[in-house]
Amino acid sequence: MKQTPGYDAIQRQMAPGVITLEGFLGTDNRKLIDILNADDATVRRAEVTHQQIAERMQYFRDIGLDGLGEFMGVDDHFDVRVDSVRGKLPSPFGGPGMYEKVNTTVVNKRLGREVVYTDLHIHFVRDHGFYEGKGSSYRLEPEDLIAILEVAPAT
Amino acid sequence: MSEFLFPLAVFFAAIFTNNILLTNYLGMCSFLSVSKELETSAGLGIAVTFVLAVTTAINWVVYHFLLVPFQLEYLRFIVFIIVIAAFVQLIEMVIERYSEGLYFALGIFLPLITVNCAILGVSLFMVIREYSFITSFFFGLGSGLGWLLAILAMAGIRQRLRTAKIPPGLEGAGIALVIAGFMAMAFMGFTGMINIS
Amino acid sequence: MIATLLISVLIITLIAVVLALLMVIADATVGNYGVVKITINDKKELEVLGGQPLLKALNNEGVFIPSACGGRGSCGLCKVQVLEGGGNYLPTELPWISEEERSDNIRLSCQFKVKNDVAIKIPEELFSVRQFTTTVESIRDLTHDIKEVRLKLEDPPEIEMKAGQFIQFQVPEYELTDEPVYRAYSMASVPSDTNHIELEIRLVPNGICTTYVHKHLKEGDTVMVNGPYGEFFLRDTDRDIICIAGGSGMAPLKSILLDMAEHESPRTARYFFGARTGKDLFLLDEMKELEERMKDFKFIPALSEPQPEDNWTGETGLITDVVKRMAENASEAEAYLCGSPGMIDACVKVLKELGMPEERIYFDKFA
Repeated sequence: MKQTPGYDAIQRQMAPGVITLEGFLGTDNRKLIDILNADDATVRRAEVTHQQIAERMQYFRDIGLDGLGEFMGVDDHFDVRVDSVRGKLPSPFGGPGMYEKVNTTVVNKRLGREVVYTDLHIHFVRDHGFYEGKGSSYRLEPEDLIAILEVAPAT
Repeated sequence: MSEFLFPLAVFFAAIFTNNILLTNYLGMCSFLSVSKELETSAGLGIAVTFVLAVTTAINWVVYHFLLVPFQLEYLRFIVFIIVIAAFVQLIEMVIERYSEGLYFALGIFLPLITVNCAILGVSLFMVIREYSFITSFFFGLGSGLGWLLAILAMAGIRQRLRTAKIPPGLEGAGIALVIAGFMAMAFMGFTGMINIS
Repeated sequence: MIATLLISVLIITLIAVVLALLMVIADATVGNYGVVKITINDKKELEVLGGQPLLKALNNEGVFIPSACGGRGSCGLCKVQVLEGGGNYLPTELPWISEEERSDNIRLSCQFKVKNDVAIKIPEELFSVRQFTTTVESIRDLTHDIKEVRLKLEDPPEIEMKAGQFIQFQVPEYELTDEPVYRAYSMASVPSDTNHIELEIRLVPNGICTTYVHKHLKEGDTVMVNGPYGEFFLRDTDRDIICIAGGSGMAPLKSILLDMAEHESPRTARYFFGARTGKDLFLLDEMKELEERMKDFKFIPALSEPQPEDNWTGETGLITDVVKRMAENASEAEAYLCGSPGMIDACVKVLKELGMPEERIYFDKFA
């Protein structure tokens, strides 16, 4: 679908080498607006909202900070590690705020699966419903996030 | 109808009962694409209104003082498009200078006003219905306001739609067209209320 | 027949010409901003092409306003006070400008476009920010993921800086990138070494600059940097100093400590260096040397996960725990911190618990 120049500019910011070396779109050829719409549909079919997913991501990240870079147990069946490096990144969506390079790794011991995301990703999901393009090494499949982080459907 | 009332009748008809978009189905593409955001829709709607009002007036002058005397009425399609294109270019420059936010948000849709069939359509209707200068101006202004009304209504509805559950496959353009259809059906109820030929 | 043809062509041409003329006039008036004048701090005057962002116009004339996001409006660092000629705020500026700043006419210079003559006010220190052409003199590995890069200044050949400040390193296009990118790094060199800039750069996965430095940069390469920037430098008091940093965070602290040694500062200093295992330690000899040179300096490394092969006899545990049990006189001292945001937050908490007021805790805010 055609997208406005506003979205075109954002898509350009997501290209490799503009903000991060790999960029945020991986090998996905779709327009940004189509990526957003598809993931939005997936999230809605699971009967949750982007906000709920982002809240869970934030929850693990905040608790994990106390570990100062080491794994720590959370809620009896999660292991969380939060480490960070210096520097901040701007968001390709524009707008204020620089996001710290904080990496959160959440291991769901019950499922035997793990997911890794950064502060920038929490912002992506919460504010834009963006999960990166398919083929990107940081691509977060909404279904995986919902399952691993155990995002509960809205009651 | 009296001389004074006719332009007013045309004005109100163009907004409500003979809405250029919902009754004549002209100007759909930017209507569907831009109506996602309420503020951008308002901006585009106002720009379209301005272009419609002024180009209809200019086209009337060009038609009656340049084309008709030389019996070149058949050239009106080309000439009207040229006038509209030039005028939209002017508007683009002015918007870029005085409201960068709007310029950035509208982007490609601003020059696309040129090929918005509603603009050409209104000028052609004016010729077919043989409107006077005053009537033409009010017709153009009214059509623009009608288009603005339609796009604002659509934007408002689509904003509500964000939290609604849409059947897969109808998301995006699909549901928008269905809604446009419903709106057009509602406006069909107005048919024949005001005679503006 | 021919007459009709000719007349129709003539009429269309006439209309087209009239409209084209209108376009030209409009372009020359509405679209053109001409040359505008920027007056800085009432003393410097620049003539620049109108219509471009203030940040860019100033950069082109050699006046560098700090920016971490390359002019995208994301970092809020490029604020400039526009005394005259401002005009309305753009929607992209408003999230960054507080009420107080609005009454002072503070603008975000990467978004604010110069369309007419303006008078602006910038901090005096920014006048001493320069762009330097440098050559890479040496690159050596400090640890498995930190490289020390020493740059020789070519043009201009000298830099005037305070120990603890940082520069912006320009990464040229390479591999997948197609425009230069800037990243900030603290200087590890001393102010007295005016011909050199020394940086400690740690490899970050998916990082544009660090990947460039670790995989592509070679001795002899030309590197553009600009600076110096930053509010992180030693305060001129008599207080004891507590430094906490790990990894490449050592850079500004090394600069500060070396500078203190050169000036024979009598101040007491402790440097708590946190790392995970033995292979993350570096520059141990230099630290030992500083301990001998300075009046009262101790380097206290702590490993959180010492491996058996390290044969570690020093402090162990998280750096915050080590600081908690070993810091003396914290309520009267000053602290200089450098590291990841998580580490800094944790250290600030510990220092406050030890009685240090927050105004005396200094850390680099760009990171």
